[in-house]
Amino acid sequence: MEIKLWVKRAKKGEKEALVELIMAQKSDYYKLAYVYLKNKEDALDAMEDMIVNVYENITALKNEAVFYSWSKTILVNCCKKVLRERNRMVSIDTIKEQSYQDNLEEKDNKIVLDAYLSELQETHQEIIRLRYLLDLDYQSIANLLKIPLGTVKSRLYYGMDILQKKFGGEHHE
Amino acid sequence: MNEFESIFREEKNDLKNIEIPEELEERLRKALDHKAVIKKKKYGIGKVAAACLVILLIGYNFDSLAFYSKKIIGYNDVMNGTLKQLNELGRGQIINEKYIFENGVAILVDGIMLDESQLLVFYTIEAPAGKADEMMPMFSLKGFLRQYAPESGQGIRNDTNTVLKGVQSFEAPHFLEKKLELSYRIHEDGKMEEGKITFKIDREEAMENILKTSINQTVKVGKSKIRFKSLLASPTKTVLKGSIQNIWELAQDQIAGERLRLKQVQLKLIANDKEVEKQGGGMRTDMNGIAFHCDYDALPQDLKSLRLEDIRFLADYDVNQVITLDKGAAQTVHIQEQEIVINKIYQSGGNTFVNITSDEDTVLTRVYLLAEEEKIELNQTIEGSYENPNAKI
Repeated sequence: MEIKLWVKRAKKGEKEALVELIMAQKSDYYKLAYVYLKNKEDALDAMEDMIVNVYENITALKNEAVFYSWSKTILVNCCKKVLRERNRMVSIDTIKEQSYQDNLEEKDNKIVLDAYLSELQETHQEIIRLRYLLDLDYQSIANLLKIPLGTVKSRLYYGMDILQKKFGGEHHE
Repeated sequence: MNEFESIFREEKNDLKNIEIPEELEERLRKALDHKAVIKKKKYGIGKVAAACLVILLIGYNFDSLAFYSKKIIGYNDVMNGTLKQLNELGRGQIINEKYIFENGVAILVDGIMLDESQLLVFYTIEAPAGKADEMMPMFSLKGFLRQYAPESGQGIRNDTNTVLKGVQSFEAPHFLEKKLELSYRIHEDGKMEEGKITFKIDREEAMENILKTSINQTVKVGKSKIRFKSLLASPTKTVLKGSIQNIWELAQDQIAGERLRLKQVQLKLIANDKEVEKQGGGMRTDMNGIAFHCDYDALPQDLKSLRLEDIRFLADYDVNQVITLDKGAAQTVHIQEQEIVINKIYQSGGNTFVNITSDEDTVLTRVYLLAEEEKIELNQTIEGSYENPNAKI
């Protein structure tokens, strides 16, 4: 698919071109949203929010070739928006969910990881998820989050350091 | 640590196998359904004007920057110095279009060079029967807007007379022209056949002007004034335009019976203290007066100084002056501020001779002898030495 061509069509207001562009990498988008939001409904909501944002701002995109990294950054921001709303709106639910997670902690490693990750700063857990769950390289993470490469490396290092200590400590106890 | 890594691996695998919801596409499409079609932001008129100006400037510069990366091969002998250099630089547009006539003669347009002063067509005529020089180029060039007149051309044939390579110059086509049709006619055994080659002009590959300037200066030569109007220097040639008389002066002289008929304008164009080779010129008398143009080779790239020298023109003046001749004594008369000496009048063998001396740049073309109210036509003029031209009546 000639990305530039499709982006140009999308710039002219062709909605279908934009849907095609995103569907061509639907798995990447969906997984990215899922890593942040961890459920299907929220991921779909975030993607809807993203495509509207992309459509409204695509004329500002100067270099058509960077469409994917640009739109994925928008998706990350949409996911963060959903997370913020979730924290604000359903704080009681979260507490309940937390306790529910606590119950299952020992049975499900996945939930254990989530539990530990959630104890980290958001900036740290975000990078760990992108690096280890989505296998993104440092540069892609830097592009996606619009932060310097060095910051990606240092956040990852500190995040992993804390995580390992916590996990190791817990495990050895 | 293994446990730790395996936890990551587990979640990663889960993510890898995650199913993309089927409704995703539909939901994306629906999300956009509510959005109005993007409208371009409106800018103020000032901004629009500025933007247009910038585009025009950039567009123009692109024209001057672009050049072709190939050179047209085989024309070294028919190109003058400047064209050779431009060709070496790869300037010009390759066309490579061929037309084959019924008798086997083929015409191939290899390429063109285009600038504001002319369009040059580089062509090859292939005549397997060996009559290349008889296939005299009779070109015409037609565009969408009008026909463009051929200006000059030259060619060179090979020893076996089977191939002729030539360059034909035409008036510069209008800047709106995109497609041109070159027709070439050949005659054989009373039959005429016309071949047509159509090509597109790529203005991106056209060449820029080095200099286009109006001069608007008047130089007095003898009794007349020469006005130099403009100088157009393109990479292929330099054209100097000017006029001698405008329509009012022309009318005044006509009424006074002192017409001036311009024959030739001569001047030297000196660039960087070196004379630029003259290629041709022309003149025209019409409703706008007498106008002339002189064509020179292209100016050097590193132009430092440019001047005109040695300006002179050849013209016929209507004088209408009657001089009473005095047999025997020498007489001096002034015509058009030129001194003319009538040396001697004598008769020999039934003819009357009048010996006249004038400046080297004055030639008397029509002289009548009036004898007893009868007009006797000039019979013959014998050119003497430069110092002493003789007229015989």
